[in-house]
Amino acid sequence: MILFSVLLTVGAYLLSKALYLRYRHPLLNIVLLGAGLVIATLLALRIPYQSYVPGQRIMTWLLGPATVGLAVPLYRQRSLLRRHRREIFAGVGLGALASMLTAGLIALAAGLPKDVLLSLLPKSVTIPFAVEIARIHGGSPGLASAIVVATGTLGSVFGGTLLTWAGIKAPVARGLALGTGAHGQGTAMAFMEGERQGSMAGLAMTLAGITTATFAPLMVRLLLRH
Amino acid sequence: MKQLKILGQLLLLALIYLLGNQVARLAHLPVPGNVVGIILLYLLLNLGVVRLEHVQEAADFLLRHLVFFFIPVAVDLMNWGGVFYRYGLALALAIVLSTALTFLGAGAIAQWLEKDGASCTD
Repeated sequence: MILFSVLLTVGAYLLSKALYLRYRHPLLNIVLLGAGLVIATLLALRIPYQSYVPGQRIMTWLLGPATVGLAVPLYRQRSLLRRHRREIFAGVGLGALASMLTAGLIALAAGLPKDVLLSLLPKSVTIPFAVEIARIHGGSPGLASAIVVATGTLGSVFGGTLLTWAGIKAPVARGLALGTGAHGQGTAMAFMEGERQGSMAGLAMTLAGITTATFAPLMVRLLLRH
Repeated sequence: MKQLKILGQLLLLALIYLLGNQVARLAHLPVPGNVVGIILLYLLLNLGVVRLEHVQEAADFLLRHLVFFFIPVAVDLMNWGGVFYRYGLALALAIVLSTALTFLGAGAIAQWLEKDGASCTD
């Protein structure tokens, strides 16, 4: 069953990647498409979710070392990081806090259940961070990852237009906003705008993950103190 | 030979990840182990203890296929269909508003500081 789970997931990944590369449509998201294919296959063969879990554990474990690897691009771009440290720390810091606070307050106002609210908090950070942040505080990894993809899709489709409309034209600021607000999907868009925007977005994506993880405990206490 | 090298680098990344997990657990940090692991590797690279050539092929390989690892995580969604049905509108509202504000906050302050800094140094 483990072998079946792994093969099924690899097949779903290759198929959805091929579809994405062929049509390049932002709504053809590899994560959602791939997961959709796996879920459809499990349902069609009447295989319960529980049987997929052992294989899932093995595959997602590798996400840990992969995430640690994000230190490599961060280190390669360290001179850029040093040169723009003020903008980066202020932009990423404000963006990450605004993301958690506004998402949390809207969730409270709308009366969303606690586990849904906790899965919503890390919505702007890349999946490996979001999953762990949600898990630590009592949210759902799967729900968090879907919310992250929704945020990234929205951000990569409308983010550039919104920034232009708001008069934010400086390449550094645009890259920072795209990486902080829409993680890897925003970073991909930033690279389409230009090399500088893309590099800044990549830095911002990783730093926003670290910032969000650091301040999430505080935010959770603030939002759910009763 | 190349595969062996990547495998060794992968083991080093896994080791740093496990170390990050242990540090987070033993120090009772409310922060995930992978975050501690990134900071750890970044420090080791800056101190010169670990060099880029010790990790970069494996890191680049994993990051190129990072999306693959997201798929099994998202399969958990099959347990959450009802949430979208019941709270879909509120969730969508929270995502749209919060994402717009995140973009504007991060972009505006960065642009403002950049202009400010440019006028000081130029």
